[in-house]
Amino acid sequence: MMFPEAKILDVDLTNQKISVRSLPGEIYRLYPGGSSLGLYLILQEMQAGIEPFSPDNMLVFTVSPFTGLPVAGLSRVVVTTKSPLTGTIGDSQAGGFFPAYLKANGYDAVVFKGRAANPVYLFVNGDKVELRPADHLWGKVTGDAERLIKEELGDEGLEIAQIGPGGENLVRYAAIMNMCNRANGRNGTGAVMGSKNLKALVVKKNKIAVKAFDKEGLTTLTKNVKERIRNNESIDGLGEFGTDGDLDGFNELGFLPTNNWQTGWFPEGAESICGTTMAETILVKRDTCYTCPVRCKRVVEVPGKVDPFYGGPEYETCAAFGSYCGITDLETVALANQLCNMYGIDTISCGGTIAFAMECFEKGLFNTDDTGGMELKFGKGDNLAILIEMIAKRQGIGDLLAEGSYRAAQKVGGEALKLSISVKGQELPAHMPQFKPAVGLIYAVNPFGADHQSSEHDTFLVADPDSQERRWLGQLGVYKQYQDTFDLDDDKVRFAFDTQCFFSILDTLCLCQFVWGPAWELYGPDDIIQLCKYGIGWETSLFELMRVGERRINMMRYFNAREGFTRSDDALPERLFDPMPDGPSKGITLDKEEFEQALNTYYQFAGWDVKTGNPTETNLRKLSLDWVVKR
Amino acid sequence: MQVKVKLFFTLRRGRSRVVDIQLNPGATVKEVIINLGIKPSEVAIVMVNGHYSNMEKQVDDGDIVALFPPIGGG
Repeated sequence: MMFPEAKILDVDLTNQKISVRSLPGEIYRLYPGGSSLGLYLILQEMQAGIEPFSPDNMLVFTVSPFTGLPVAGLSRVVVTTKSPLTGTIGDSQAGGFFPAYLKANGYDAVVFKGRAANPVYLFVNGDKVELRPADHLWGKVTGDAERLIKEELGDEGLEIAQIGPGGENLVRYAAIMNMCNRANGRNGTGAVMGSKNLKALVVKKNKIAVKAFDKEGLTTLTKNVKERIRNNESIDGLGEFGTDGDLDGFNELGFLPTNNWQTGWFPEGAESICGTTMAETILVKRDTCYTCPVRCKRVVEVPGKVDPFYGGPEYETCAAFGSYCGITDLETVALANQLCNMYGIDTISCGGTIAFAMECFEKGLFNTDDTGGMELKFGKGDNLAILIEMIAKRQGIGDLLAEGSYRAAQKVGGEALKLSISVKGQELPAHMPQFKPAVGLIYAVNPFGADHQSSEHDTFLVADPDSQERRWLGQLGVYKQYQDTFDLDDDKVRFAFDTQCFFSILDTLCLCQFVWGPAWELYGPDDIIQLCKYGIGWETSLFELMRVGERRINMMRYFNAREGFTRSDDALPERLFDPMPDGPSKGITLDKEEFEQALNTYYQFAGWDVKTGNPTETNLRKLSLDWVVKR
Repeated sequence: MQVKVKLFFTLRRGRSRVVDIQLNPGATVKEVIINLGIKPSEVAIVMVNGHYSNMEKQVDDGDIVALFPPIGGG
């Protein structure tokens, strides 16, 4: 078969020039979408050492050959750029309808370079692509900007990926929002967009032109989808309770990050901010992405306070603004979520940074002179909304907190340095490495900072051996049964690395990780092979795909090595090695020596240099990246 | 004897968050699970009175059993 070509839209913002090029199928097959394609384009052109906010930083939106096919979980867009939060390669994914319609206009990638002299937005309508002034949109929150864009183009049939004031003001964890409630949240990609004076990427909802290679074959994946959902408790439950369905369970286990990760025990608040409570109280609708019947997205409403237009909080958001900050009120959390969606800010880093500030305040590192009179104490939710606004607008202490907890800690100095719960400057998501050490290992080594969606979680290794989870993991060679989640032996490290490569396939092909995956998801490893075959006529194997996933990770680590990153940057916050202080997890410890040994093993398994943690030339060549070595 | 059972995530679908059940003395966690109409294969983690435990553990009158499916990312 001929692998499809990639069509790339190049936008030079400095010179207001727009052009289109094609990438041959034989190259696209090696980098088939997502941040793999993004990295390919960046490593071809971008020099090392370019500052994230320099016009020379590239900002790349990518989809994949599969985006827009009428199958669940195939509408994802990835943004790749040098991250202003981590200084590493940045990678962030979002769902919704925007990705399918970007592809419907014929493009696999949109590459932004340079910086516009004044604010602009890009309007894409098939071959007609234009940069339009956005001075009148600058400073507007996402909902207002979306309305104004639709009004001036006289068209409701648009999908809009945009920044809010957070991105405009270079908040280092600013997001790119589509539908005003779907976020390319992590790594501060929105701030890079802001530095380019680019307010939005607007696409016309043209007819989805993506045709399956074998339409009848593809129905083997789609025709029984409702039955598949009914037979999959995890997926059906995800639809019912959302991602927040697990929150009170993590607390019961003693591993819900609380009060800036000082404990995993939040008995006073976990029940009130969990997904079951949300479903029983403020949930008004379950929303979805293009052609997806799972409906995991929350839509919440509190009359006069929280607007359903801005969606609803995920688990990560409920933890970041709830337990991280000691806040027990779901409506306060839902409002914080809305404000982040209006201003275009990542909820995880924002909540994590505010929790950091609360601990600094409680330890006397900040006082009310620093905070403009606010008592930044754990559990005090009445300051949350004002703090988010101050961060988005970089006002008062918000200017410091807009830098993220890591940079803020560097400025405050002293004890504050221990209070930033981050890796490579990115705040940790709400899965505790003390409970899930393999996830902790990936937090440490993941090229773009701590991330919970870059590998499978330890919990599935205690699942029943006959379960779907274990059968699918078995296809990756993961079969060892564990009695509890706490080990970090060789098999666990292999599980971490191999599932990281697998998740890297998903992030390359732009497959939703709640629908496609190696364990609990709706579609498993075999189904991906079928999708490749029927979707685009790609006769492949798990072997080729694992190489695709591994290639992406290696390109990322290579990018980071050029920027001076080494093994010493693959470190978890010291607090994580203290014994758990109270609750059901009291006394449980992530052993530092064992963790360092696991890092050694990980680098060896990955084929990287144990001393530097960077890919070896041989490994890059093995992955067809000899062109990278030669540069 | 009576045992209080806390159910999490998908295990509470069609049930409630907390269930009180009557059992014969000497019953194990596995019997608690079966008594609730849950397949043991759906349960990944067990706690008894706030301590990590397992299916074979015998429960006593007044015990609190917490049951978890295999919960992952998100």
